[in-house]
Formats: sequence, C-alpha cells, structure tokens
Amino acid sequence: MSAMQRQSIVGKDVPFERIRRITGYLVGTMDKWNNAKKAEEHDRVKHGLSRHA
Amino acid sequence: MIRSVMKRDGRVVLYDESKIVQAILKSLQATGEGDAQAAQRIANAVEAYLDKYSDQEQPPRIEQIQDAVERELMKYGFEQSAKAYILYRANRTRIREANTSLMRTIDEITNVDARHSDMKRDNANIDGNTAMGSMLQIGTAGAKAYNEAYLLTPEQAKAHREGDIHIHDFDFYSLTTTCTQIDIVQLFRGGFSTGHGFLREPQSIQSYAALAAIAIQSNQNDQHGGQSIPNFDYGMAPGVAKSFRKSYIRKLTESLEDLLDTEGLLEEITSMVEQTTQKTGAGPRLQKDEQEFDSALCQLLCQQYSIQSDIASHVVDRARRRATRQTDRDTYQAMEGFVHNLNTMHSRAGAQTPFSSINYGTDTSPEGRMVIRNVLLATDAGLGHGETCIFPIHIFKVKEGVNYNEDDPNYDLFKLSMKVSAKRLFPNYVFLDSPFNLQYYKPGHPETEVATMGCRTRVMGNTFDPQREISFGRGNLSFTSINLPRLALKSKGDEAAFYKMLDEMMDLVANQLLDRFEIQAEKHVYNYPFLMGQGVWLDSDKLGINDTVREVLKHGTLSIGFIGLAETLTALYGHHHGESEEMQRKGLEIISHMRAYCDAKSKETQMNFSLLATPAEGLAGRFIRMDQQQYGKIPGVTDREYYTNSFHIPVWFPISAFDKIRLEAPYHALTNAGHISYVELDGDTANNVEAFESVVRCMHDAGIGYGSINHPVDRDPVCGYVGVIGDVCPRCGRREGEAISEEKLRELRRLYPGVPTFCGCE
Repeated sequence: MSAMQRQSIVGKDVPFERIRRITGYLVGTMDKWNNAKKAEEHDRVKHGLSRHA
Repeated sequence: MIRSVMKRDGRVVLYDESKIVQAILKSLQATGEGDAQAAQRIANAVEAYLDKYSDQEQPPRIEQIQDAVERELMKYGFEQSAKAYILYRANRTRIREANTSLMRTIDEITNVDARHSDMKRDNANIDGNTAMGSMLQIGTAGAKAYNEAYLLTPEQAKAHREGDIHIHDFDFYSLTTTCTQIDIVQLFRGGFSTGHGFLREPQSIQSYAALAAIAIQSNQNDQHGGQSIPNFDYGMAPGVAKSFRKSYIRKLTESLEDLLDTEGLLEEITSMVEQTTQKTGAGPRLQKDEQEFDSALCQLLCQQYSIQSDIASHVVDRARRRATRQTDRDTYQAMEGFVHNLNTMHSRAGAQTPFSSINYGTDTSPEGRMVIRNVLLATDAGLGHGETCIFPIHIFKVKEGVNYNEDDPNYDLFKLSMKVSAKRLFPNYVFLDSPFNLQYYKPGHPETEVATMGCRTRVMGNTFDPQREISFGRGNLSFTSINLPRLALKSKGDEAAFYKMLDEMMDLVANQLLDRFEIQAEKHVYNYPFLMGQGVWLDSDKLGINDTVREVLKHGTLSIGFIGLAETLTALYGHHHGESEEMQRKGLEIISHMRAYCDAKSKETQMNFSLLATPAEGLAGRFIRMDQQQYGKIPGVTDREYYTNSFHIPVWFPISAFDKIRLEAPYHALTNAGHISYVELDGDTANNVEAFESVVRCMHDAGIGYGSINHPVDRDPVCGYVGVIGDVCPRCGRREGEAISEEKLRELRRLYPGVPTFCGCE
C-alpha cells in the first residue's frame, strides 16, 4: 500500500491533482514544474471564441 | 634563492624550476616565437625577479609566479606568447572554478529537497528526490562541467554560460543525437533485437503493441530526446489482421464442431482458410472483400462436410461476427496495455519514462481504423484509477479527403479524437493540408505525411538527399537556441544593429552545431546498438557494426531555435505582434530572416539546417534571470519570470482564440524544424466539444502546422472525479486536503463505478 493510499483512507492532506500542458507534453501535476513555468501557467489568460474579442 | 612555493590551498612544496620552463615553452611553441633556450632564459629571469621582490619570510605564491612569467614574457618581447600564456591561465582558472561549482551542485543534488531546489526541477519528468533521479542529475552536472571546459571553444562557452545562446541537452553533448521517428512497419518485419535477446516478428495485436513499447524504450536508451512512431495506425494494423485471422479460424472451428458434433477440426479449417486465401488472393479481412472470401470458403465447407450452403453461410457469418467482436476487444486491451506501459516503464537509469509520441489518423483500412478507435478509447478511460495519461503524446493527423470532412472515411475518428482531447488534453493535431506540409504529401505513402515528436520536432525537407523528403527513420541531431530579447536589449532600438548581432549569433550557433556534428559523426554503429544496429535510422541498415555514422546522420537536422519574439519586438519597437499589424510584419521579418539564414546554410553545407520555434521549459526562466541582472526590469520585456515561448503571443495578453491562431499561423510556415500553437479554453471542454472543434477547424483553415488546446484537467484522487475542480470537488464535496468519511466514500462508490479503492482501508 502506497503512502498516498494509506493517507487517502479518508483523504486528509491529499491534494487535488491539476494536470496542465507544459511545452507540448503533459506533466503529472504541477508540483514538479520549475518556478518559471509555474509563473507562466499562473499568468495564462483564457482565449474567448468570439471573432471580435 | 627560491626554495619553496605556496600552492593555492596553502600547502608549501619544493620549488621545481623545470615546471616553469615547461609552461613557458608551451606558450612559446604555440606561437612559434621561441625555443627551449628562450624558455630557460625567461625562467631564470622570473627567478631573479622573485628573489628580488618577494617577501623573504614567506615562499612566493603560484599566482605571483604566474604574474612574473607574464611580465618577463612581455619584457623580452614575446608578446604573442604572453597572450597565449594569459589565455591558458584563464582557462585553467575556469576549469578549477567549474570543479568547485560542480562539487557545490552535487552537494545541492544530494542534500536539498526537490521542492526547494529549482535546479532539481529543471526537467519536470525527472523526480529529483529519488535515488536514480539524483544519480542522473549528478551525472548531468559532471558531463556539463566537462563539456564546457573541453569541448566548446572559449567563444561558444562564454555565449552558453552567459545566456546569449542555450545549447540544449548539453549533458549529452559528446554522446548522442536528439530523436527519431521510428518506422515500426520496417522494424517489425522479420523481428528485431533489443541487445538482450531477439524478438520474433509479432503475431497478434497484443504482441504488436507490446513490441512497439519496447522499441520506444530501446531507442530511448540510445538518444536523449523524444521517441516517436510516425505511423502508429499503419504499424499496428497488420497485428489486428493477424489477430482477426486467428480468431476467425478459431470461431469457425468451434461453430462447425458444435454443428457436426465432433472435435479436432482446427487443422482442416486452417488449411481450408489457407486454400481460400490462395484462391481469392487475400486472407480473411475485417470488412474488406469479406463477401468474396466468405463465399469461397462456404463452397469448400459444403463440399468437405456435406452441409447445405445456407447453413455453411450462416456458420461463417456468425464466426465472422464473433471474430470481429473478439478482435475489437483484443485491440482495446492491447492499446490499454500500451498506454499503461508507456506511463510506467522506465528508461535512463530508471528515473524517467520515455518521451514518447504516436502519430495516427490517416490509415483508412478497417484494421487501422480499429487501432485508432481503440487507442483513443483507452486514452479516454485513463489509467487504473482513471488518471489522465501523461504519455504517449498523441498526434492526430488531420487531412482533407481522409478525415476532415463529413464524407471522409475517417471522419468519425476525427470526431472521436476531439471528444477525447476535450477531456484528456490529447491528441494534439498536425495539419497535413497546410501548404508547407502538403508539399510533401503523396497519397498512399505514409512516410510523406508530416509527423511530430516530443514537444514539437518536425523533420521533412532533406537538402542532403532530396529524394528522401520523408519523416520515417529521421530526426533532429542537435539544437541550440538564441536569446532574441538580449540582442534587442543590446541594440537599444537600433534595428540595423539588431540584425547585425543576430547574424553574428547565428554564425556562432551554426558553427557550434557543426562542431558538435563532428563529435557525433565520429561515433560508430556499435555506439547505438538499437538506433543504428537495428536499422531504425534511415540508411543505417547499410552500415556494418564498426562503421562510423557520419554519412547517414546527415539525414538528420541541425536546428537553430529562438525564444521571446514578443519581448524582442517590445524591446525594439515598444509593442509586440499581438498589439498591431505593423509589429506582426516586423516579427515576420525577423523570423523570415532567420529562416533564410538556415536555408542558405543548408545549401552551403549540403546538410539540413532548420529553424525551430523552441520549446522552452527550463530556458524560459534562465535567460530572463540573467537579463534582469544586466538590464533591470523593463516593462513588457524583462518584468516577468519567463520569456514567452518562441513566436507565441504572450500568455498574459488578452486575445481571442481566432486572432491568436491567425497571428501565429504564418510563423508555422517559417519554422521548419517544428512549432506548436496553443489555445487556452475555459471551463470543462468535455461538456463543450463543439467549442473545441471550432478551434481545431480554425487552426486547420488558418494554416497552422501543429496545434493543441489547453484546458484545465483536475482530478480528485479520493473520489476519482475528473474535470474542473475549483475550491470544492463537485463529486464528493471536500476541499483540498480535507478528509471525507468512509461512509461517504462507500455511498459514492455505489453511485460512481470510477471511485478508486484503496487496499487495506475497507
């Protein structure tokens, strides 16, 4: 049984996983990203679908 | 009279005049200015000088002696030799400092938690906290120190060290090349060897898929970049055909044995299928010429077992339906296994899963279509607890007439791919109709379809061998990126000065790539037992094990990359290309200029120089930190923690998806070594596939080469919910880090089949 599984018996201290694309490939949750890419992800704005945004 | 010398670490050792003579002689010989006699004369003068001026209480220090040597060389008129001696001294100092810094680096790798060490998170796919991950990082640090001190020219080392350029994968500088598109159709033909045993040609879709994963893993051990399969659908299809044939024979045998109330018909049926295969010219295939084959077989069955034709046809028909179902199930399991394998198997000292990509979407055979559908469904389902798969990168090849329009044969699979990508972030899309991709496309020749590997690498044109403008068996040899914003800052708004510096920098990079090529070219086939030894790389099958790889490597690309076009434009002209059409023109001018340089260099060297829109994972922060120190925080240029990726519109700049695509598309045409555009969509796109599709279609119509759509994919590992999670999980209602009761978990499990089970807790 993994350390995470022991903990997740009731979920205490278990974070949500947030998967994002880094530079073309995905990375399993962002805690392994370097600081620059974390900052970049934080700054991203969403792109609207209207043709006259 | 000098009797002793104090070394740098403070130890006192006996004075040895011959050492000084040797050092002086080396400098004199290097410039041709003098001989051993002259060296002796200067050494004597050095000694006399030290006798006169040094402190009598303490022996002279090494630095003092070296200062005296420089002085005396100058005094005696050996000016060139004095310069050579100074350079030599500076270089030794640099190596000594590198050694000290190397020890400090290893200390950090050993003792600091990766969460607190940015260096240890430089590559997000290496876990810097594990033993193997740390060992890999220590090796990397050692290789980098060695390569900088011994393999780069002082000019290249300075540019790399100070952030004018970045030599990617520098730890592997002397060892190998970047990546390859593995043609698995050719690799599987007749079987292959991994170096630890021979694998026979696979005979079912399960073994095809297992061997594809092994091929990626084996090749990853020979190269430092990503591994890609450009023809995943075409490559797996023969496995499906073999599985179907086996299943067809088995189901038919069982039905007939039931009907005739007998046993042991397998051999007879197999031989009748064989006869029919010879007669009709094709084996039993999934929905292809099936009527011709099935009725020919029926005739044989009627004769052999004296059964009526309608009964025979009924039996065959049922066997076909069952075999089709069985093959579909087998294919799904094979694809599921493949995806699981690539997310768990390790290469590179066990620290990293291979960087794998698979390209598909254009094989319209029933077998190929079965592969595409099932690999998409397996990705949609996710891993054991419903986790999103990180690898492989899926690339769906979009082509009009094949899958883009409603009446195209693979239109249904294109639609399915978007449904999956809207939930799982993969596949990405490569657009074969964009003119710079279409120019290579020949229907019926999958090797002429542009495919992508790793982050974005593309290899297609071939100056070295214009008859082989294909993706199969080729890849990138090495790439180095230029810090464009630095050049803009240096030129202080002077456009002419900027272009002049850009040309000089590209010269420096091109020469560095050629220098590295010389190192790579001298390797032998035995250095790459899989890549070259198994004929994966184009034309390597024509080489013997002891041959050098020089000529075949020339099929690969040498790529010049760049980062931060947006910041460059802002530094030069005050705005970036998202802000005005004029800046878009200026941006295209810069990138066209760089492309023209690469084309000219290709022509000159008869090698494949290409321009890369650099993926900038570690680089984004490295360049800007150095530029901030030198230039301070300049708004729009150096005031963030990262430079913008390649030619992208800055991630923080508000712009519609359609405008972003329209502005970025022309840069795809110029960056022939690879490119990608992203669009960020809000909310859970899984619930809005139409919006997702409108973006993919916009990319296709705008002439984007390679694109993908980002959207948040969150997962609660406790209840297994996948989608967008704000502060509260929509399924189980907990906040991050909060506990839920076991009772609640049991209740959720009754409602949702996907809730993970944790052994030992219930």
